Amino acid sequence: MDGLVIRDLSKTYYDIYAGEHVAAVEGVSLEIGVGEFVAILGPSGCGKTTLLNMVAGFIPPTHGEILLNGRRILGPGPDRGVVFQSFALFPWKTVLDNVGFGLKMRGVPREERDRVAREYIALVGLEGFEHRYPHELSGGMQQRVGVARVLANHPDLMLMDEPFASVDAQTRMTLQEELTRIWEARQPTILFVTHDVEEAVFLANRVTVLTPRPGRVRETVAVDLPRPRTWRHLIEDPVFKGLVARVLALVRTPAA
Amino acid sequence: MKRPVLRALRWFPGHPALAGAGPFVLLVAVWALVVELEIYPRAFFPGPLDVLRVFGSLVYKGILPTYLQDSVTRLAVGAAAGMVVGIPLGLLIGLHPASYRFFWPLIIFFQAIGDIAWLPILLIWFGFTLTTMTFVIVYTVIFPMIFNAALGVRTVPVEMVRAAQSLGASRWRILAEVLIPGALPNIITGLRNGLGYGWRALIAAEIIVGTSGIGFMMFDARRSGSVVEMILGMIVLGILWYVVDAGILRPAERVTIERWGLVRQAP
Repeated sequence: MDGLVIRDLSKTYYDIYAGEHVAAVEGVSLEIGVGEFVAILGPSGCGKTTLLNMVAGFIPPTHGEILLNGRRILGPGPDRGVVFQSFALFPWKTVLDNVGFGLKMRGVPREERDRVAREYIALVGLEGFEHRYPHELSGGMQQRVGVARVLANHPDLMLMDEPFASVDAQTRMTLQEELTRIWEARQPTILFVTHDVEEAVFLANRVTVLTPRPGRVRETVAVDLPRPRTWRHLIEDPVFKGLVARVLALVRTPAA
Repeated sequence: MKRPVLRALRWFPGHPALAGAGPFVLLVAVWALVVELEIYPRAFFPGPLDVLRVFGSLVYKGILPTYLQDSVTRLAVGAAAGMVVGIPLGLLIGLHPASYRFFWPLIIFFQAIGDIAWLPILLIWFGFTLTTMTFVIVYTVIFPMIFNAALGVRTVPVEMVRAAQSLGASRWRILAEVLIPGALPNIITGLRNGLGYGWRALIAAEIIVGTSGIGFMMFDARRSGSVVEMILGMIVLGILWYVVDAGILRPAERVTIERWGLVRQAP
């Protein structure tokens, strides 16, 4: 099957301080079709970032397997772009060179990669900032660079690890709207990890709720809200509010 | 005609090599005053003008320029060799656990044998030669380079490496594009310390090996009892280091780590 397939995935850590094995993720199975936007939601410490790190190939699973377009994931690769909570931009590279980094690694000549990078810098609304360094930008602008850097590399899957958690509330809402706009325009496949219920419902087509540690799939909720989505329209929308309430209940009450 | 003059005026007090002249004006004034009070005999405690006179005469005879060139060349060769060996070794130790386990005990052991402690055996092996002096300088420069390069690569956030991996960077590209630039604040610190220690080791080596150089000039001056030449040597050492700092190290920092926001800009 095309897209992402996660089968019976588990991760157990050895906690050297506690002196015992701790299960972070247990028996998670999940499928994401091409062009889908799926949010993974769970309380802090439920293993959702561990799950994302396994999909990214940063850490190996203890058990189970992950397939992307039928290929088994064994390590990090350019088919899966990651947007980090800490942005993880390269401070010694300008916006243009950060966004063009993936293309440079593939040997795309300077002129071509600058052209593509400029296209994605425009897509995230940062025209005129091409020659700035990351430390000269606000947090919100830095994360726009983080998103453009991944999109410019045309990954099959975009992994986002609480990408808007470290910007202020107003900026976060703007970035969420921008992300839905970009998704509607380009339809990248997105796995978005968050602990913010409203963010998950606002952005995704499906919200998968994990249980507290160890993380298991509690339930998946389809979000059939019309697009384009804006906070102005949804904040008082009864369907949106109903979905938020339902998902919040899943997060807060223990599984039967 | 007006603008170049204005630019020159603006440049003059603001230039990093001259910006720090203020405190020295005061220091020289106090020095001159103490000398003029004749608390100590002039032969033991000469004044600024005496030093300036000897400076003029040694420059005129060509001794000072030659010695200065010898010392600076020795330091440059030693420092370059120390960097070429020290930085890659530091990167290897910082990134490769097996290399760390192998090299670390050796490095700690040999670091304890100070540069000067090598001189007796070096004099037997290589005699009073450039080889002996170069060995001492490389030996001194290399440890701060290794330690700081190793520390530097370990301070690069893991997520930056992961970001590069997810953008398709190979291990060598990650080294060149992420780890080395990320380690640069520490590498520059290592260079600064290494050059500083190397400079001192060189003067010590010149005093003992003694064929030419600023250190030789100062030690040789004891035979003629020329305190004024010793003071001149000390001043030359200080000024030269100041020039290296303001002319090489600071500009290198400004266009790299300060420009990138890795360190706060110096006040």
